[in-house]
Amino acid sequence: MWAGLWASQFTTPPLQCHVTSTLTYENDCKPDENRKKGASRWSHCRKRGADGNLRKSHEVEEPGKCSQSSHRPESFTTPESEGPVSRVKNWGDEVEAEEMRSNVRRDMHRYRRRILEADFPQRDRKISSGSSDSRDSRDSKESPAKGDLETDETTLIRRQKQINYGKNTLAYDRYIKDVPKHMRQPGVHPKTPNKFKKYSRRSWDQQIKLWRVKLHAWDPPAEEGSDLQQIEEIDLGEIMDFELDVECSADTGSQCPTSSGASLSLAEVIFSIYKLIPSKISANRCSVCMHFFYLFFF
Amino acid sequence: MENSSKEEYKIQSFDLETQKLLKTALKGPGSVDLEKVSNVIVDQSLKDQIFSREAGRICYTIIQAEAKQTNGNVFRRNLLNRLQQEFKAREETRKRSTQEWVCLVSFICNIFDYLKVNNIPMMALVHPVYDCLFRLAQSDALQNEEEVDCLVLQLHRIGDQLEKMNMQLMDELFNLLRDGFLLQDLSSMGRLLLLEILEFRAGGWTLSETAQKYYYSEVTD
Repeated sequence: MWAGLWASQFTTPPLQCHVTSTLTYENDCKPDENRKKGASRWSHCRKRGADGNLRKSHEVEEPGKCSQSSHRPESFTTPESEGPVSRVKNWGDEVEAEEMRSNVRRDMHRYRRRILEADFPQRDRKISSGSSDSRDSRDSKESPAKGDLETDETTLIRRQKQINYGKNTLAYDRYIKDVPKHMRQPGVHPKTPNKFKKYSRRSWDQQIKLWRVKLHAWDPPAEEGSDLQQIEEIDLGEIMDFELDVECSADTGSQCPTSSGASLSLAEVIFSIYKLIPSKISANRCSVCMHFFYLFFF
Repeated sequence: MENSSKEEYKIQSFDLETQKLLKTALKGPGSVDLEKVSNVIVDQSLKDQIFSREAGRICYTIIQAEAKQTNGNVFRRNLLNRLQQEFKAREETRKRSTQEWVCLVSFICNIFDYLKVNNIPMMALVHPVYDCLFRLAQSDALQNEEEVDCLVLQLHRIGDQLEKMNMQLMDELFNLLRDGFLLQDLSSMGRLLLLEILEFRAGGWTLSETAQKYYYSEVTD
């Protein structure tokens, strides 16, 4: 009887409540229903739909199936929120959040190591294949002092999400195929912002915006955009060369480097570039070009 | 290598069409309906005890292949959410069929074992796995050899990993097992299984040579 009394204490699950209270599982809604599936201006450039499935190149998304449902979304994540803001978690989302945190931590270790290597260069320095977002540790002018890294995980995750949005585009895919890393020129080619550097929120968001605008140069051709596309991709170095040619011929009086027909189209080209590329540097260079241009022809 | 893949993943139990689907998924996940694939795998795991212990590997391969091919996560997400649904309904499943319940536990633990995130087990699964094991450690379940067998099998496979993730829960679980062993009226096989697992953990998740001889050799008297 004594044994029976003891045993009866354990027939009810003593720990069931304790173990499950930390996580709630009452989620009957599929995880994708709360995400916007509707078409947007840039839908045709996005490689992957909101549900994670690859899109075929010119697919237009139908308006979301469940986005107008009466119940509020159970969980949602935006770059602005502090990690997954969920009322009820589903395992798919949870694991993705875990993975994001784990990736950010791994990136941080790699970056720290890379900075150390930059300070103490070793003979056989290997560039690791991951964390291609933060490759500028060798540039001592820009590289942060060891204690000066962004370490707040929430911030890093938010920034990584913003970077991922940019990388999950057809434009980015085309860009990295088009221009291998060793061929990239600073100022000309878009460069992924370094999430480990200290920046204010505004500064970071602006960098992301500019980066993504620059990436649009590699968007898959839309109907009327293709001419402009080709013009944008002209290396500004060509314009610099032209400047020098103009100078020389103006001084020495030697033959005109191009026929008037060709030079008029060059003028169109330069005008177009001036209009399209918003960065300060290219604007200055273009205005200098214009100056020489006028000198040469008028 | 390709020829042995059928045996390697034990997919003979599927019908031919499904086998074809799985093989395609393993090679090129971008071309198949991954949600369908994940459902097929989960359904089969709940029916086939052998498959439920091995399905983790096939899932792992598909996930790697998808990540490599399309940088996507569709399969894993669908798999986990479907698993979550089954987990929520586990008590009904247990009432309906012990076999299905046992398969479900095996499958969840197998997934925990194989699907790691950057070589770390999925934290989201730790409590659910413990929930299942705690359920198996209840006195009504301990009376049932099938359930005890499942419990000790899972602890052999993933006990040490689970303990690393949460030592306190493992301690509590083993308190239950110890009490069950001492105080409950169990079958002799049930008692033996529990004793072995108690020793196994006490030995640091391994069996000493003498214990190995005791439990796993033929007794010749």
